[in-house]
Amino acid sequence: MTKHSLCRIALAVAALAGLAGPARADEPGLTPTTIRIGMFGPLSGASMAYGFDVMNAARMYYDKINKEGGIHGRKIEVVQEDDRCNANDVVAAVKKLVEQDGVFLLNGGSCSAPVVAAKDYVVRSGVPWVMLNASGDGALYPPQPNIYGAFSISQRAMGGSVVEFASKELKAKKIAYINHDDAYGAWNLEGARFQAKDNGVTLVPEAVSPSITDVTAPVLKMRASGADALVIATYARPAQLILKKAQELGFNKPIVIAVNAIANLKQLAENVGSKDAFRNVYIEEVLAAKPGSEKLAWIYDLYKANYPDLAGKPDHPQVYMPYGIPSAMTVVRALQAAGPNPTRAKVIEALDRTDFDSGVMAGPIVLTKTEHAAQKASTYFKFDGEGLTAVPGSFASRWTYQGQ
Amino acid sequence: MSVRVLAAVAVLLIGLSLALPALATGYVVYIGNLLLVFVVLSLGLHIVIGEAGQFSLAHAAFYGIGIYTAALSSKVLGLPFLAALLAGGLLAALCGLAIGILSLRMRDIYLALSTFAFGEAMQWVFLNWTPVTGGPNGLAIPPAQVLGQPILSDKAAFPIVAGVTLVVVALVAGLHASGLGRAFRAVRESEVAAAAVGIDVRRTKLLAFTLSAFLAGAAGGLFTTFSTFIHPDSLGFQTTILVLTMIVVGGVGSVTGALGGAIVFGLVSELLRQVPSYQEMIYGGILILVMMYAPRGVFTLVGRR
Repeated sequence: MTKHSLCRIALAVAALAGLAGPARADEPGLTPTTIRIGMFGPLSGASMAYGFDVMNAARMYYDKINKEGGIHGRKIEVVQEDDRCNANDVVAAVKKLVEQDGVFLLNGGSCSAPVVAAKDYVVRSGVPWVMLNASGDGALYPPQPNIYGAFSISQRAMGGSVVEFASKELKAKKIAYINHDDAYGAWNLEGARFQAKDNGVTLVPEAVSPSITDVTAPVLKMRASGADALVIATYARPAQLILKKAQELGFNKPIVIAVNAIANLKQLAENVGSKDAFRNVYIEEVLAAKPGSEKLAWIYDLYKANYPDLAGKPDHPQVYMPYGIPSAMTVVRALQAAGPNPTRAKVIEALDRTDFDSGVMAGPIVLTKTEHAAQKASTYFKFDGEGLTAVPGSFASRWTYQGQ
Repeated sequence: MSVRVLAAVAVLLIGLSLALPALATGYVVYIGNLLLVFVVLSLGLHIVIGEAGQFSLAHAAFYGIGIYTAALSSKVLGLPFLAALLAGGLLAALCGLAIGILSLRMRDIYLALSTFAFGEAMQWVFLNWTPVTGGPNGLAIPPAQVLGQPILSDKAAFPIVAGVTLVVVALVAGLHASGLGRAFRAVRESEVAAAAVGIDVRRTKLLAFTLSAFLAGAAGGLFTTFSTFIHPDSLGFQTTILVLTMIVVGGVGSVTGALGGAIVFGLVSELLRQVPSYQEMIYGGILILVMMYAPRGVFTLVGRR
């Protein structure tokens, strides 16, 4: 072997070693003056809208806590990673945060399918993981000892809540329910079925592909079922097609659009193209009040103060921005409850006793030893294609995990 | 690849197998594992494109077939790691053979489009065959079993991944120097001339596709030693393009190029994750510069000095 070969080997080893980080203390991520929290989410790529500003919201909340003196004298230090909403990148980001950056706990994850990729590793490592806004059903059921999520809402709870609204507020006895024919669809249908049975109403489900292009058959089927209300639990694109077709085919019963499809209501209305299609339409929202309303104004003001450059851009704050707050609030409350000498075990214990009203989401944030999905309620608005009119109250799912 | 370079690779991998799990964090070892999977993937694509000159854009599909087959063989049949890896490689090879038969009837852009269509079709299968693949919810991969013991960490998996990679590197280097390797290159340069000197062009092409797919499937099997989850989104055209980029930047037709390209571009991809707003621009910039100043590949350039 030549000198050059040996040099190349040395360089390669050095390159890998260059990724290595500093040595860790006994309780990782903890110093007398700081607590290190690892955050991850889509900071780039096509799925950025799901998490970029959600992370910003959580970070600005941590900044606020730091300005108020921190937690038992410790300031929160955030280490941030981009996961591009890709399963491999989620795993790389989580492993880097835990093993390289030595964070005390994780507060990340905005995309439900990829976050599942990190589940086994996080369970094995024992690091507490509080998701951001991923519904995360795949990682939350069956409950894992150190994983918490669904701070916006889980798919199961979404299905339950929307049926609760249709049966209690709209007085529907028979509810047509269009969902996707994938895992998400199966999850929300599970919650919807439970709630329908519990409320004594009939559910008429119809599963469609997320990439469906002609919705005539499912809409005709739903119309023929004689349902008193139609729930659309699909993503935005199929929802637009169903709304348009329902109007064309003269479906005149109330239509409820689930939270999955409302990321951009203006765009939804434009794509449907006719105001008449919105004569009897309601939308589901998981926030406690209308986005931008007085109740939530402090969040938008905080965003403007923390990110003045971003706030000046037309697409910011992104729709899901406030969803980052309850997750960060939960982390702060657990750290406070764990006392001046926190350990991961103490924080997990505190997380299992979480019960508070965030003032941000439709329902309370409740975590127990056996239920790690935090939020189960939604608010509803009548949507006429332009404006939103709030329906009083919130509507919660009662579905609970019963084991495999 | 010369014997000297092969020996250097062997020393490097054995050295890393001994040192890395003891000295580095789990994250660094995870990245090391991923890079070695990329090496096996690149060497597979190198056989069909670099050696035999056949356009194949279905590499991620073969990789996915390997992952799902190895994971399910272990989960459902309880096969140990090596048997599961071979099962993944063999099923992928069978699909590669089918694509190879297709390649006998078409070439160039038409072959590229056909293999692309196969890749897309397979991703649809991964996404929609929910009872088997888990569909959009992904599939939990059980820990690989070696000598009855489950592999539960990146550090435990690394020596196995490095060992298999070393065997693959040696086999591909041997193939390059063998008569079959020369037959591959003869077909690449001119099918008519190759046939004129007595090479069975049909058999050679079929072998290239089958071997390439086998290695992609084996790379999938390797992935299951240190990963606990697979999602169809990771098995799309983007992955094929990433591996194609690795062999082109490293040097098409060169075993060292495929190996070096996989390591460098795998590392670049991970390091650029730290600069979210600029990663695509930097990645594109590197590609343009390489294509302008080292069109035959960075590692062939290094090798000539």
